[in-house]
Amino acid sequence: MTALAADATGTPTRIRPRRTWVGVLIGVAFPVLAALSLFIGVSDVSPAALIAGGPDGDAASLLLVSRVPRTVSAILVGASLAIAGLIMQMLVRNRFVEPGTTGVTEFATLGMLVALICWPAMPVFGKMGVAAVFGLVGTWVFLRVIRQVPVRQLVLVPLVGIMLGGIVGAVTAFVAYRLDLLQSLSQWSLGSFATIMQGRYEYVWIAAVMVVVAWVAADRFSVIGMGEEFATNLGLDYRRVVAIGMVVIAVITAAVLVTAGMIPFLGLVVPNIVSLIIGDNVRRSIPWVAGLGAVFVLACDILARTLRFPYEIPLGVVVGIVGAGLFLWLLLRRGSRAH
Amino acid sequence: MTVKLTRPLFAAPIALVAALALASCATAGDAGTDAAEETTDATVSFSWDRNIAGEDEDPEYEATTVEVPVDPETIVVFDIASLDTIGALGGEVAGAPLENVPDYLEGYLADDAFNAGTLFEADLIEIEAQQPDLIVIGGRSAGLWEDLNEIAPTVDLSLTGTFLETLERNTTFLGEVLGAEDEAAAAIVELEAGIAEAQAATADAGTGLGIMVTGGELRALAPSEGAGAREARGGLIYDVFGVDPVVEDVAAATHGEPVSFEFLVEHDPDFLWVVDRDAATGAEDAQPAAEVLDNELVQQTTAYEQGQIVYLDPVAWYIVFGGIDTTQIMIDDVLAIAE
Repeated sequence: MTALAADATGTPTRIRPRRTWVGVLIGVAFPVLAALSLFIGVSDVSPAALIAGGPDGDAASLLLVSRVPRTVSAILVGASLAIAGLIMQMLVRNRFVEPGTTGVTEFATLGMLVALICWPAMPVFGKMGVAAVFGLVGTWVFLRVIRQVPVRQLVLVPLVGIMLGGIVGAVTAFVAYRLDLLQSLSQWSLGSFATIMQGRYEYVWIAAVMVVVAWVAADRFSVIGMGEEFATNLGLDYRRVVAIGMVVIAVITAAVLVTAGMIPFLGLVVPNIVSLIIGDNVRRSIPWVAGLGAVFVLACDILARTLRFPYEIPLGVVVGIVGAGLFLWLLLRRGSRAH
Repeated sequence: MTVKLTRPLFAAPIALVAALALASCATAGDAGTDAAEETTDATVSFSWDRNIAGEDEDPEYEATTVEVPVDPETIVVFDIASLDTIGALGGEVAGAPLENVPDYLEGYLADDAFNAGTLFEADLIEIEAQQPDLIVIGGRSAGLWEDLNEIAPTVDLSLTGTFLETLERNTTFLGEVLGAEDEAAAAIVELEAGIAEAQAATADAGTGLGIMVTGGELRALAPSEGAGAREARGGLIYDVFGVDPVVEDVAAATHGEPVSFEFLVEHDPDFLWVVDRDAATGAEDAQPAAEVLDNELVQQTTAYEQGQIVYLDPVAWYIVFGGIDTTQIMIDDVLAIAE
């Protein structure tokens, strides 16, 4: 991470000072928050207890079974969701889209529900697959609909996505309502790491794989972000790159949904902040987006765990409040810059 | 059930009957919440404080009295606990939200019972067509009073005051309506005895924690002291059955407070009382509570080591809670630890 950050600092761009500032923030905040996340919890797991062993000999096993999975999933969920948002923004060439504002999350949720109803015995991995396929369909539908919208105003695009998501969400809610699953649905779709532990979080690693894929294809996404004609003129197989992007987005959305639930605003806020700082070169911004996403979720999860200690506030609620605030700030800031 | 009673408990139902006898001398339409009284023209009046503010945060109560015919021919019931009691007292129910009637209460429905809607919504047209003589609502269906009372005399037998007070009030009232006063009195005596026995069993059983499992998440249930009514549910293990709560300060919320597995390890109750919410609402396909609780952290708890994880009958504890047969199921659930 530090090496990459140093690399980024070496390249000349307009807004150099702020970049260093954020680089330091991520570089310091990330390890600090990760360590905090490991040692904050209902049970007493302190470094001292770990070394001593003693009566709290369970500390080590607790760390391994409960804390490490939680910390790792917070990092991976934050990083991958932020990346999914970044890629979506490149595909649509709009700063205000992310899986949550384009109906992709709602489609994936519907997929989960369908899997729960039709194939109840299916292992979680299979359910995630169904959710991913639905997410893919959702991405495709959104891109089709957007193409038909004549005016591609900045705010209109996410608005269309939110409406699309609203329709799919309504269908999901209706099905859940008829089958008395409404409360279960709201329970598992509301983002939370409360019951994350070994054996219940491993699917986020799939999201991590997608992050790597996105990283490898980063340059192509940058080019895609300049438009179809431009990309084709550069000899890029536009459709294929879009397809890769769609798969990355759908799989990340599904993996996060299965492990943690819905986490709003993250994919929107993080890439925007990074873009303000270092611009739109995807290869350069990917580590920043991933790092900031991880920091964001780690911080929110620590808040979720401590605000009502020893009980928890669902992570989705905390992220929703913090993220909405940041989003508003971004909107107002953009507005003031434009005029 | 053997009668080995402590004096005060045995005296309680007698005192209640006496109180009711005295109450019947008082003027009708008293704002009292539990005055059931018999009049000469073969009706029983039932009074309660009806919340006319709807599902508002600030309820507004209006004293309401409804005259109910004795020995009604066609009874429609939305309150499953009342369905239970009516059936157990020898009555028959002509209409109910059929999908929500648990298997063990189906025998109390008439052979040609019609579907009156859901726990939340009434099929007004169908009910009107059936011309019922009495409609019983409560809890989830309490808001239907105005619509239903236009069709037939409608009483709201929701929990008010404590669980036991409500159980006695409703059983006594329905006994009078059905002309089965003696059976009602006998049932109350027997349930009181059973509860006393269960309390004796939990008295030296150590601490306990009620948890609700839903959508793979855990929620700690709270003693509902003073909160009464809607918040009761899983809290009944503390309030009625005398389980010593391992944590005192769980906020009295209907669905408990989200907690992590670590919470279970840290507070380490001697008994875990589990309400499987998804099983209660018929989502058999959702991850069963036993599966959610089958993990390394739970295995570190005393409750697991001692084999003291008690799976409560989800329908009885979550959907119905109240009614004669259901209360017996709850008693048996708790008494299971004494075996």
